[in-house]
Amino acid sequence: MIKKICSLVLVVLLVLQGGCWGRKELGQLAIVMAAGVDRAPGGDIRLTVQLARPRAFGGGVERPSGAQENNAWVISENGETVLDAQRNLEKRVSRSIYWGHNVILVFGEELAREGIRQAFNFFTRSPTARETLWVMVARGKAEDVLNSHSQLENTSAQSAGSMLRMRVGEPVMLKDLSMMLASKGTNPALPRVELTASGRPQGPGMVENIPQGYKGAQQPPVGTHAEITLTGTGIFKDDKLVGWLNVRETRGLLWLKDEIKRGVVTVPSPVEPGKKISINITRGNTRVEAFFDGESVWFDVWMKMEGTLWEQQSKEKLTNPVIYKAIEKAMSREIENIARGALNKAQLEYGVDIFGFGEAFHRKYKREWASMQNRWNEVFAGAQVNIAVEGRIRRTGLTTNRLSEPQ
Amino acid sequence: MILFKKPRRPKGTNSRAKDQNPAGGNRETTEQPVQNLLLSTDIESNLKQLKGIFKNCSDVVFREFLFAQREQIKLALVYTDGLVDKTLVSEQIMKALALNVPMATDNMEITRNNALHYVKMRGLCVHQVQETGKIQDVVDAVLSGDTVLMVDGHAIALINGSRGWEARSVADSITETVVRGPRESFVETLRINTSMLRRKIKNPNLKIETLKLGEVTKTELALVYIKGIVNEGLVHEVKDRLSRIKIDGVLESGYIEELIRDHPYSPFATMAHTDRPDRVAANLLEGRVAILVDGTPVALTVPYLFIEAIQTPDDYYEQFLFASAIRVLRVIFLVIALTLPSLYIAIISFHPEMLPTPLLMSIAAQREAVPFPVFVEAFFMEVAFEIIREAGIRLPRPVGQAVSIVAALIIGQAAVQAGLVAGATIIVVALTAMASFTVYYSGSITLRLLRFPLMFLSASLGLLGLISGIVIIVVHLAGMRSFGVPYLAPVAPTIQGDLKDSAVRLPWWSMRRRPHLIGQNDQRREIPGLKPEPPRPGRR
Repeated sequence: MIKKICSLVLVVLLVLQGGCWGRKELGQLAIVMAAGVDRAPGGDIRLTVQLARPRAFGGGVERPSGAQENNAWVISENGETVLDAQRNLEKRVSRSIYWGHNVILVFGEELAREGIRQAFNFFTRSPTARETLWVMVARGKAEDVLNSHSQLENTSAQSAGSMLRMRVGEPVMLKDLSMMLASKGTNPALPRVELTASGRPQGPGMVENIPQGYKGAQQPPVGTHAEITLTGTGIFKDDKLVGWLNVRETRGLLWLKDEIKRGVVTVPSPVEPGKKISINITRGNTRVEAFFDGESVWFDVWMKMEGTLWEQQSKEKLTNPVIYKAIEKAMSREIENIARGALNKAQLEYGVDIFGFGEAFHRKYKREWASMQNRWNEVFAGAQVNIAVEGRIRRTGLTTNRLSEPQ
Repeated sequence: MILFKKPRRPKGTNSRAKDQNPAGGNRETTEQPVQNLLLSTDIESNLKQLKGIFKNCSDVVFREFLFAQREQIKLALVYTDGLVDKTLVSEQIMKALALNVPMATDNMEITRNNALHYVKMRGLCVHQVQETGKIQDVVDAVLSGDTVLMVDGHAIALINGSRGWEARSVADSITETVVRGPRESFVETLRINTSMLRRKIKNPNLKIETLKLGEVTKTELALVYIKGIVNEGLVHEVKDRLSRIKIDGVLESGYIEELIRDHPYSPFATMAHTDRPDRVAANLLEGRVAILVDGTPVALTVPYLFIEAIQTPDDYYEQFLFASAIRVLRVIFLVIALTLPSLYIAIISFHPEMLPTPLLMSIAAQREAVPFPVFVEAFFMEVAFEIIREAGIRLPRPVGQAVSIVAALIIGQAAVQAGLVAGATIIVVALTAMASFTVYYSGSITLRLLRFPLMFLSASLGLLGLISGIVIIVVHLAGMRSFGVPYLAPVAPTIQGDLKDSAVRLPWWSMRRRPHLIGQNDQRREIPGLKPEPPRPGRR
């Protein structure tokens, strides 16, 4: 009996001696929604965090209308490394900084041009940060991008994350970026974000100032509402930002990387060249094959795209197979043009392989790869790429021909 | 086959039972020991003796009268007022004997010597008549509600079955209600209970053995089983365990349960208790043994397996797909009832990264105003719920409404509005409470009990603590046996045939065999090929 009591006491002690080890009560956490890393003057790292303010979320508790508070608190601090900067941040933040729910990681342009490896390691090592967080590169400063609100989501970080989840831009998670950096057959391409004027502010707390120097001339100067916007893709050579792709070229990049989820292709009408036809891409796949004859490298790209014709400004009869085929052909041509646009920019302007063609080559020519991997970007820039697109229009929406025709 | 490898018995009962008589020797010193006394032929001395025994027992009635046929012969009735059917005593016994009813044929003369014979054969209009010569039998009979008739000149008394006392009528089952199925439940009278079983199982193989337990109360117990189906070893084991009991009184079957169960310290029940005759009948048909105790509507059945906690009688009456779906849900409810508060505590205070971001945000927003750690909050809410539940059982009916309104106000509204408790915590506690009611009652009180240590564990060690707590519970369950049958059967050890009636309930035409470990004496429940099918040419 005494033995039993003793062992019971030991077990209880074992539990109690743990003393809630590792406990982090929700109320003691400063939940980071977004992190931004910039270059600070003097070679330091400037870490910006967007901390959620649960109090402002108002879960279940009614609050007087009109007094809209900001859901997030954006605060920056310098440090020699990211961890050092975080340590410095903790002097100002009453709760412990918690990375477990970080949605996005934004690199500032200046830092990205110098190389992102110096700021990236912390997030892959820290056990609390997720490897599924979305990585992006800011046009301008990351700090400015984070200093924003979202009209629909709780925080602008979640808004940017949701946009990427819908494959509006090139979606890159932390783990993808690690893999891209580790591979010699490809270079990273990160979605570019910036603040753009987005309608009117819906309340006193929702006014942002768009940073100087990046706002278009036609935008009103201050007091507008701005949202994080995906405006293209940043192209990297290894870990250094070298240039940008615009939105149209980004679509070509997504298609060439076989990451098509959705998209719209607009082609001129084969009968009335001034009018347009829009096709909603619903399905597609891309196959890349590398060829090497000892001297030159070339690639064959097959793209199969299926779409639904959803808008027609012109009035041709879609029941006519000849016209139908002509529209499909125009669609294929347009898709090829878009892909070619991205390809040309990568090959001719920047000379970096961001499409993973090197991986395709590596898979097929393992032996030759060894001699080529260190100069792959030059090889890629000189390679010929043949693109064959097979566009198909599967459906025409709820109607086949137009319901009414102009007189 | 049942392996009675390690017959688990309540430890130490043997040694204790030998040296003590819990009724105490006290009673027997003040009165004469009646055990071995015999009746004498003199009715006066018999009466005197009985009156001595029933001294100060105001409910015992002595009625002396003269035999109508031969007035020299004195008769005496002894019975307990309130326990006997008074019309029966006055109409069928008194009237028949005290009025001048011709009993003897003309050529036979009634004498003192053959009076008893005439009384028994021609005078009494009673169904059950027994003869006895022992005072002890007379005393027992009187106290059980029988009427004892003594005839002068005979050392033998006649015990007339005249039991008939005020009893609660058979009503709906309160603890286990069903949508489809019989409504009746057991009552406090043993005879009525056994009759309910007999009405369901009209077979001479339904054996109802009675025995008396309780040195003072002399409570009747009925051991019920179906010969031919039941494992004889099981009956023997139950009898053996019952025979060791020496206690002053048995007022409810819970006494018996604690005295003969396996694993006396375990919070998990190893004997089923139910007030539904159909449940008992079904258990008997599977080869189980039932113990009915006089004075309580709650019957015990053994062996009891863990899986029975999620089985209800109407699972077997409803359509099998529906029953299976509900059972799967009940398994989930069981897990919820046991672990949801601890899981909530562990996730909120140790692993917030496990929640989707929007959910975490909304919980964080609710918890922002709460001044307590989540464990304290959840613990207080659980305790508050236990208070309401306990109050709901104890409170007098008329104030029930008031309590429920106050409780709903306090928990549902005021606590949240005052910022003392987060809405999410209330949802968790309420869900847990509701889930625990879906499990068989004796299972649910166990879950109720174990919930708190699990909450402590997860508050101090997070999911690690919760998992280790669950591991301890599962190991404990896996090591248990109920009357020789592994407690987690048919899941562990896996008995494939029995899985048909576990977390799902397959149709009756597919459950051809009785539970393997329980009904192994006669495994076959039905003939094969009972599945309803349209007639086919080659088959009939």
